Amino acid sequence: MSNNGQSKHTTNNPFDIFIIGARKGFNIAVNNLVPNILMAYAVSEVLRILGVMKLVGEIFGPMMFIFGLPGEAVTVLLTAWLSSSAAVGLAASMFNNGILEPRHLTILMPAFFLLGAQLQYMGRLLGVADVPKRYWPLLMSASLLNALCAMLIMNWFFA
Amino acid sequence: MQEENKEQKKVSAQYDPEQWKVGPKGFIALIVAILFFSGILVNFPDMKWLSAFDFTTLTGKFGAIKATGKATFVGSGGAGARGGFLFALSLVPSVMFALGMIEVLEHYGAIKAAQKCLTPFLKPLLGIPGLTGLALITDLQSTDAGAVLTKGLYDDGLITKKDLVIMGAWQYSGAGMIANYFMIGSALFANLTCALLIPFALIFIFKFVGAIYVRIMLNLFYKGDFQDEQ
Repeated sequence: MSNNGQSKHTTNNPFDIFIIGARKGFNIAVNNLVPNILMAYAVSEVLRILGVMKLVGEIFGPMMFIFGLPGEAVTVLLTAWLSSSAAVGLAASMFNNGILEPRHLTILMPAFFLLGAQLQYMGRLLGVADVPKRYWPLLMSASLLNALCAMLIMNWFFA
Repeated sequence: MQEENKEQKKVSAQYDPEQWKVGPKGFIALIVAILFFSGILVNFPDMKWLSAFDFTTLTGKFGAIKATGKATFVGSGGAGARGGFLFALSLVPSVMFALGMIEVLEHYGAIKAAQKCLTPFLKPLLGIPGLTGLALITDLQSTDAGAVLTKGLYDDGLITKKDLVIMGAWQYSGAGMIANYFMIGSALFANLTCALLIPFALIFIFKFVGAIYVRIMLNLFYKGDFQDEQ
């Protein structure tokens, strides 16, 4: 994907352009998706064996109920704050273990990205764009608000 | 002679005692490493939780292909690193296909058209000038490129500090949403109970909601900060 919103390809052949995009997709999948999901699966295995998932589920159960989610879903949301792909990986692993259902994944979907990778983007976005640090907490609260409202809407209307 | 000196320096650098200092952290790490890889930790039936720190346990297992003719190579019941690897591998084709299509659509001007559609809404909704449209649209695809363009606008004096904060809010929540949604989110597409584009549209709408919230907060609580600007 180009950096200035305009495409500059040496070729006009749509098949060649498709290949360029597909190659980018392959690189991203191999370099980002696979390592992230592998790590998420290993971490979720640790949490499962230690019983953390169950404990977190019981503590946050009532709160997550508002969004139509099981209590364990809170681990996915906390992970999303660190990394979207790790959160998606964790959600997929919890789905395979029968903790989350398709309905739950649907409710969580927008939140993965609205809340996603805030920690990384502090440096990559707010730092680079030179947004004064004084406003960072405000921007974070906006993201959290976005994610919570989006989950409510998904729960009420679409899931 | 000179070469000999160089050689000596090289050797002495290799044996620099500073480099070989080991703190207590190092020894703890070594003990953890030995325990982690040794397989000892699975041998305590009373303390099953210890296996959470065992290499073989976390490597996990590949899923088994039980229902032949129905199950894919991912199988069912996979866990740990092995389960994660096969699952991730099953996502590669959809990511490649999605990015290939986006590249083609972008080439034919879909992004420019999106920018044209977005620009009229910026002033009334967010109170920022229309020329910020390009930076915002770029952020939909690439967080880093969007950030650089935003900084450029501020450095060139084209936007005020308040505009910068509002733009930051718009970009921060759901940053790089097109790329991220189709690259990462595709892992869950098959299991969604609603149309693929609904969560996507919701993320886009909430980018505005978040930015409007920040705009209101700035007007209410940070008014003094921007009095010099106009």
